[in-house]
Amino acid sequence: MAELHDADRRDFLGLAGKAGLTTMFAQAVGVNLGLVDVAHAAKVTPFRFAIIADPHLYSPKDHVFDKHLEDAVAKVNGLANAPDFVFVMGDVSHHGELDQLEKGKRILGKLKAPIRSIPGEHDWYLDMGEGWKKNFGDEFWSFDHKGVHFIGLNSILVPDFWTKAGLTPQQRRDCFMPLNSPVPGLWGTDARQREWLKKDVAKLPTNTPIVIFTHSPLWDYYPRWNFQVSDSKEIRQILSKFSNVMAFHGHVHHTVYNKIGNLTSLGTMSTSWPWPYPPIKLPHPEYQQFRADPSVTTDGMGAASIGIGADGRGMVQYLPFEDSLPQRLTDGFKI
Amino acid sequence: MKFTNRSLRVVAVPLTAVAALLVAASAVARKPFTAEEQKAMDEKLTAAAKRGYDMWYGARADMANNGLACANCHPDAAATNPQTFPKFMPQFDRVVAYREMVNWCIENPQGGKALDANSADMIALEAYSFYLHKGIPIETGLQTRQTAGNTPKSARGLNVKGTGIGFDK
Repeated sequence: MAELHDADRRDFLGLAGKAGLTTMFAQAVGVNLGLVDVAHAAKVTPFRFAIIADPHLYSPKDHVFDKHLEDAVAKVNGLANAPDFVFVMGDVSHHGELDQLEKGKRILGKLKAPIRSIPGEHDWYLDMGEGWKKNFGDEFWSFDHKGVHFIGLNSILVPDFWTKAGLTPQQRRDCFMPLNSPVPGLWGTDARQREWLKKDVAKLPTNTPIVIFTHSPLWDYYPRWNFQVSDSKEIRQILSKFSNVMAFHGHVHHTVYNKIGNLTSLGTMSTSWPWPYPPIKLPHPEYQQFRADPSVTTDGMGAASIGIGADGRGMVQYLPFEDSLPQRLTDGFKI
Repeated sequence: MKFTNRSLRVVAVPLTAVAALLVAASAVARKPFTAEEQKAMDEKLTAAAKRGYDMWYGARADMANNGLACANCHPDAAATNPQTFPKFMPQFDRVVAYREMVNWCIENPQGGKALDANSADMIALEAYSFYLHKGIPIETGLQTRQTAGNTPKSARGLNVKGTGIGFDK
């Protein structure tokens, strides 16, 4: 694997820099709050949904991460207010192997509520999503539920760097294994999804509460670790007419909060391991989880539960396995 | 004892002469290492750090029985804080060296075989993680720094520069 990450290969592929420039020169997008129609509040029937993120299942039987995912399933099933859906934020598998995806589907099948899922990069690049789609359905989707519009996007797509380089599917997949791999470049959604999204939301009233799921955050959090969606500004522009966009992402394996105009972005804990925070000043450090204690194998991990009120706003409660969070994150906060 | 102006002058003259000699000596003294020697030593250290980087990302299969590598939890050696060791670690109930903590991670979350604490491979892991923490303040305690140290300037496979894209806000 190491030879795939040397500087020569990176220069040969030459993609990381180009993708970076694309994002850097993307036009700044303003949020048109003037379009918000507060006079006609959307009719929302209160309900709850849950989130499980980044199980990263490995192939061996009874792998430690299997138990973590089962714990998350039990936690969600045990919620006093049952969720109508559980959203799985991608990276169900670590290597994209069919047996890992099937194991994920089997364990997640124990949830009482139906699941909807989006892919992560670990799920995708061994077979370009074939196994994932077979087990978890469409890579991007939307639906309406009790007055809320839900959207899921595939945010881990990069231009083809593997064909010209003559990589095998395994080599292609391995290019995505390290968080700081410079080979694939910055990932995002694609023109196909942006066009679809424009049509999808065109006729929705501006006061419709929007909940959107992407594997990586819809803002430039820390591109060195691919903590971004390269076309997030375009996505946010498409959604800029709505009064409240609640965006949830996985990939970062920790709690993180940002607010950009009408969009509130929240990172979710994983069920596999907690990532450290990148070396940047967080926009809202009060949403940071504690430094995980490595001697407690499930510290820094968990799930999340979100209630949607009649006002269309979300009440977010993280569900950590251990005492990993400031109390306000477990008590709940409104978005 | 009471110094007179004269006695002070007597003492001061020789001291000035000694200081002048010292300045002259340092100006012509050979540096601890020549540029060539320094370059050769840096190359050795860089080679060790690169070996450490490869191992950090899973190059040695016997360091895990579950597929996990150091980088699973510590990209760019983040949240390792090697400079804060030796320190008390609750799971040991004693003060431990950084290499003991590395072996703890290999044996516990990774389920692998501990490295010989004095082996070249252990030193390579130390070289990689210390390299990324040069100049970082020493802090101790469970709530210590949980982020990366320095963004690598040179290491195989890593960006030479951060993207610098930063926040949208």
